[in-house]
Amino acid sequence: MANDKNAGSGKLGTFGYNALALSIFILLWAVVSWISESLFLPTPWTVLKSFLDLCTYGDVEGINLGMHIFKSTLRIFAGFVAACILGIPLGILMGLYPRVYDSTKSVIEPIRFIPPVAWIPLVIVLLVGFSRYAFIIWLGAFFPIFIGTLLSVRSVNPTHIDVPRSFGAKRLYIIKKIVIPSTLPDIFTGMRVGMGIGWDCIMAAEMIGGENEGLGVMILKYAELIRIEDIMVGMIVIGAIGFLINEVFIFVERRVFKWKEAIVIS
Amino acid sequence: MERGDRDFLGGSMERELIDVDMSMKFDNLSVLEDIKFKVHENEFLVIVGPTGCGKTTLARLLGGLSKPSSGHVTIAGEDVNPKIHNVSFVFQEPSCIPWLTLWDDISMGLEIKGADPQSAETKTRIKEVIKLVGLDGFEEYFPKQISGGMKQRVAIARAYATKPDFLLMDEPFGHLDAQTRYLMQIEIMRIWEREKKTVAYITNNIEEAVYLATRIIVLSKLPARIKAEHSINLPRPRDLTGPDFLRIRAEITAQCEVVK
Repeated sequence: MANDKNAGSGKLGTFGYNALALSIFILLWAVVSWISESLFLPTPWTVLKSFLDLCTYGDVEGINLGMHIFKSTLRIFAGFVAACILGIPLGILMGLYPRVYDSTKSVIEPIRFIPPVAWIPLVIVLLVGFSRYAFIIWLGAFFPIFIGTLLSVRSVNPTHIDVPRSFGAKRLYIIKKIVIPSTLPDIFTGMRVGMGIGWDCIMAAEMIGGENEGLGVMILKYAELIRIEDIMVGMIVIGAIGFLINEVFIFVERRVFKWKEAIVIS
Repeated sequence: MERGDRDFLGGSMERELIDVDMSMKFDNLSVLEDIKFKVHENEFLVIVGPTGCGKTTLARLLGGLSKPSSGHVTIAGEDVNPKIHNVSFVFQEPSCIPWLTLWDDISMGLEIKGADPQSAETKTRIKEVIKLVGLDGFEEYFPKQISGGMKQRVAIARAYATKPDFLLMDEPFGHLDAQTRYLMQIEIMRIWEREKKTVAYITNNIEEAVYLATRIIVLSKLPARIKAEHSINLPRPRDLTGPDFLRIRAEITAQCEVVK
């Protein structure tokens, strides 16, 4: 279709502009750091060198950058998957049966407002190792997924429910055919928000957690040594991973939610 | 079950299928009062009434989507229930399911009624109704890709697909522009003449009512009561500007209290 072709060339254009924007950003950074000659504003090539060093020789303790990335990502995915497994069904359930939510919100809502970071001291005492991090991530990612699903179930178009009902459909059929597909885009949005919060939490958790692997603790190690270029490697890596994950979400959304694209033919 | 022993009602009159005798209240608001009428088999009954008089409430009761606060709505002697009876409903609001292709949307009723979506019989029927409403070639389209008039055709095809014993249409063209609406009225007559069904059609458009109906029931303002009943025996296709048409239309307009 003609529209697909336009979307294709548009994407290529977007890619080009992004490459240009990134180049200009790096150029500006280079100019500013070169002019200022400040110890606290390293040039892009110093940061690149640090990146390569961290990849080949590892950090001050000899831990490879890849290992830091692997550890942080693994922790996030564990917590995130747990948040999805609990948040999505619970959101659907409480959306379908508002009474369950209404009569338990005195427990749910206060927990939602406690920042996951505030849990860290307690979690360090109560849990060990990997479960500490997974729990904190889970806390952070759970609520956007859960609340997003819950609200979405409650806002399903009533006419869409009436259509199968008018043929005498069973409740389970309506949930499968109408409620879940209708909430899926909002579930995805909740997952994207949850993933972002997960990264916030892992940084805080790793900085306090006391282990020596993970991007958060790597940044902290170099903060103590005031080695800005290595700190910046950590920051950029986090940003890049977040960006990649977001792109994956967008890619999947485009595939799954074809029906949402507005292509008007007549 | 009422058999065809009611012929005394008139030589050509077919048996009574739907029996309505009920009232509907929401809390203290009385919406429908003493609504009492019957729908005969293969009849095209149009219910007209002023805006906000409870027409949609009545449609939902007829379709078994809600229960009256007193009295009954029965189909062949039993309380109407879409889980038991083969009734179909065309909604006033756009009702295409955004994530289903037209094919999947139209086959939904058949699937719920227990037909195997992969069977040749089901496929033949779906192709048949798609052709009937003129949507051939659009089977794999999503609702976002088609016009408002086409979406209403999908709703009609979906309702017809199950070969319902009783078809309810609640202002199905209310959202369409005047021209599309007129074309759809011609269309619905063509479809009804090809696949005769017992139809209850609800509208606030009197011209539409006189154009479509074999019989018209006029409702009053809220709380709605039955104000008048008309049998329309004009030949089809009906001439919107013929003297008889205009006379009936004027008569019903006066009863509808649309203008003071």
